[in-house]
Amino acid sequence: MLLFVTSHSTAVGEAINQDPSPRVLVIYPYDERVAATTVAGEAVRNRLLEATGGKIDLFSEFLDLSRFPEHEHIERMAQFLAIKYADRRPDVVVALGEQSAKFIVDHRASLAGNARIIVAGFNKSTGLQMNLPTDVIGAFTEFNIIKTAEFARRLQPHARKLFVIGGSSEFDRWWLETAKAELAEFSKDYVTTYLEDLTIEEFVAKTAALPSNSIVLALTIFKDRSGRNFIPREAVKQIAATATAPVFGPYSTYIEYGSVGGNVVTFEALGRTVADLAFDAIQGKPITHVQAPHFNVADARQLDRWGMSEKDLPPGTVLMFRQPSFLEQHWLAALLASAVIAVQSIAIILLLVERRRRRTAEVQSRHRLLEVIHLNQSATAGALSASIAHELNQPLGAIRSNAEAASIVLRSACPDLKLIEQILADIQDDDQRAHDIISRMRGLLKKRAEIEWQEFDLNDLTATAIKILKGEAVRRGIEVSSTHASDALPVRADKVHVQQVILNIAINAMDAMGKAGREKKLMLETRLTKDANAELSISDSGDGIPDGKLAAIFEPFYTTKASGTGLGLSIARTIVETYGGRILASNARDGGAVFRVIFPLAKAETT
Amino acid sequence: MNPMIHIVDDDQSFRTAVGRLLSASGYRVTLYGSGEELLARVHELVPGCCVLLDLDMPGLNGLALQDRLSQQAPMLPIVFLSGHADIKASVQAMKAGAEDFIEKPLETGILLEAIARSLQRAATRQDEYDRNHAARTRLASLTPREVEVLRLLVRGTLNKQIAYALGTSERTIKAHRHNLIEKMGARNLAEAVSIAERYGVVAAAEQSSQP
Repeated sequence: MLLFVTSHSTAVGEAINQDPSPRVLVIYPYDERVAATTVAGEAVRNRLLEATGGKIDLFSEFLDLSRFPEHEHIERMAQFLAIKYADRRPDVVVALGEQSAKFIVDHRASLAGNARIIVAGFNKSTGLQMNLPTDVIGAFTEFNIIKTAEFARRLQPHARKLFVIGGSSEFDRWWLETAKAELAEFSKDYVTTYLEDLTIEEFVAKTAALPSNSIVLALTIFKDRSGRNFIPREAVKQIAATATAPVFGPYSTYIEYGSVGGNVVTFEALGRTVADLAFDAIQGKPITHVQAPHFNVADARQLDRWGMSEKDLPPGTVLMFRQPSFLEQHWLAALLASAVIAVQSIAIILLLVERRRRRTAEVQSRHRLLEVIHLNQSATAGALSASIAHELNQPLGAIRSNAEAASIVLRSACPDLKLIEQILADIQDDDQRAHDIISRMRGLLKKRAEIEWQEFDLNDLTATAIKILKGEAVRRGIEVSSTHASDALPVRADKVHVQQVILNIAINAMDAMGKAGREKKLMLETRLTKDANAELSISDSGDGIPDGKLAAIFEPFYTTKASGTGLGLSIARTIVETYGGRILASNARDGGAVFRVIFPLAKAETT
Repeated sequence: MNPMIHIVDDDQSFRTAVGRLLSASGYRVTLYGSGEELLARVHELVPGCCVLLDLDMPGLNGLALQDRLSQQAPMLPIVFLSGHADIKASVQAMKAGAEDFIEKPLETGILLEAIARSLQRAATRQDEYDRNHAARTRLASLTPREVEVLRLLVRGTLNKQIAYALGTSERTIKAHRHNLIEKMGARNLAEAVSIAERYGVVAAAEQSSQP
């Protein structure tokens, strides 16, 4: 007692130990396995070590009051600690929890004479009831069950039942009473049941048979009805494991033990708050009561378990144990994969764009080709117009003469009706002939907007071409002869274009025979080649192709004629190649040029 | 007998129709599909006929056939038919003695007119030819002595002078003179001299008599 008085008197007004390593004693109310206090204590230690750069002496004492609540034990602990710290008086004592606070307030004289005392981990009203001395500073935590209830309501908007769980210890009972008062308003919206005075087995059994539209609020179970001691989170763990409705609790320590979440003071936050107070106290700064911050905390695994949505969480909720998404887990691989996909996509897009451009270009070039072919057709029609007109005059002349003859015959005394009949039949035939000539002429001028693929017999097409050319050949004194393959030569291409090829080559051949004095002969011959291609050869009796010009004759603008454009053979080759064929030029042994046009046979359609 | 028209055209329908028209118009008609066909029967062509010839034919064309006919049947009137107005060919044909050049399709009136005109002209030519032919034949029947006498007579030489020049009697000259007037089918000496001048016998005779 003397010691107490002496030390107390000397301590008053004395400055805090100026020793470079101030001493801080942290008092835990329970044993080292109660997470709430140990987590907070660890946070205090870490924060202080960090703030002082390690220049601090930290001490921890566990009062173990949940298992040894007897007054004798408390007194023995006080005596023991007084002796233990006699030579190393702490500068600051941090008392975690209400019981620690009570303990240090009761025994501060013997234990920590002039130390600053900071209490933490209970609410302010409790502090007031304890009649804390004014120089004891608190970091209070308001365990507001109503906030946790509201939190639960947000996540379970359709819940209709409310169950509140509390144990049988003194604290548990106090908590239950507090909760009942706080929830008085809230519970009106629900069928509310307080589960109290139960053994742990009864808690588990009852919560395993709850309807799913229930909210379960777990307070604390330090003791069940049978008197068994619990660390509350372990009791909550047992209950939540088999509960058929989500369990919420106002403690962050419940989070890992099956609670969905709640409005809690995280013990780290509490610890840090206390440490800041302690640090200020060490430095001699004035300190006052503070409120430890509250958070809404939720366990993502439990949200999953109960099918709740993260979106329903109140803003600012700390979501714990969220399974990192695939992207978060494998971000590098994902990044690389995305990069590869992006590069590939770009490449594909570029290729598509390129393909489109190429197709557009192809279409344009084909259209141009068709234009050129049509110009070529028109030129050919122009060149042949005189002979075509002549050819057309034959049937027209015949029709006129026949008609005149018929009218004269009819005017005679006794008309020869048989002759009239014959004349009329002939007129019909000639009319048909004129019509055929016009059709061929039209075919010669037919303009294509697109290639018209058709299968036709090269023999027939050659015969048609000869009919078109015959008049011109006669006019030029050229004898046209032809032989054709005995079998059909089916070719797939645009008839009009292939006909143009034949006409170009043939007219070229006729031009080549213009000056030659000898007999003028044009020979068209079709045959099936050994490698099963359709071949048309067009030979003339002209001077042949000059040496060294065999390669050049198919080039555009190569011409030997004063009036030629030099496009006929070039166009012919382009057309033939468009349809997968070849065109070859050579000189015959007995003079004259031979052009051979070779097309692949159309595949016979076997049905 | 109606004149015969020979139609040469490679177009069967056309030649048949034209043939019908001409036969309805009162002509006799023979049809040929080519120049060669006509040439094969050239001996059948008698005066008073006409040839309608297509210019453009395979093988022997119109102009070539005209050339051949001019040798084998020079008096034959030829009317060309052509599908197109080929000026060069028409000029060549006319130069070579064609009667006409008609464009197809044929105007019946123009065709018939052309045929009639060419037949007419051919007939006139034939008459003249016949006359000339007769005169030439008569001239050819003169003896060399009679030709000599005729030549001198054309120059207005008197019988006496001729007799002196030829070293014979005036009476002999008179006999020659009488014979040659008779041979030439002339009514008198003036007509005989005129014939001799027209056919150039005198000049020819004179030339041939020159050394």
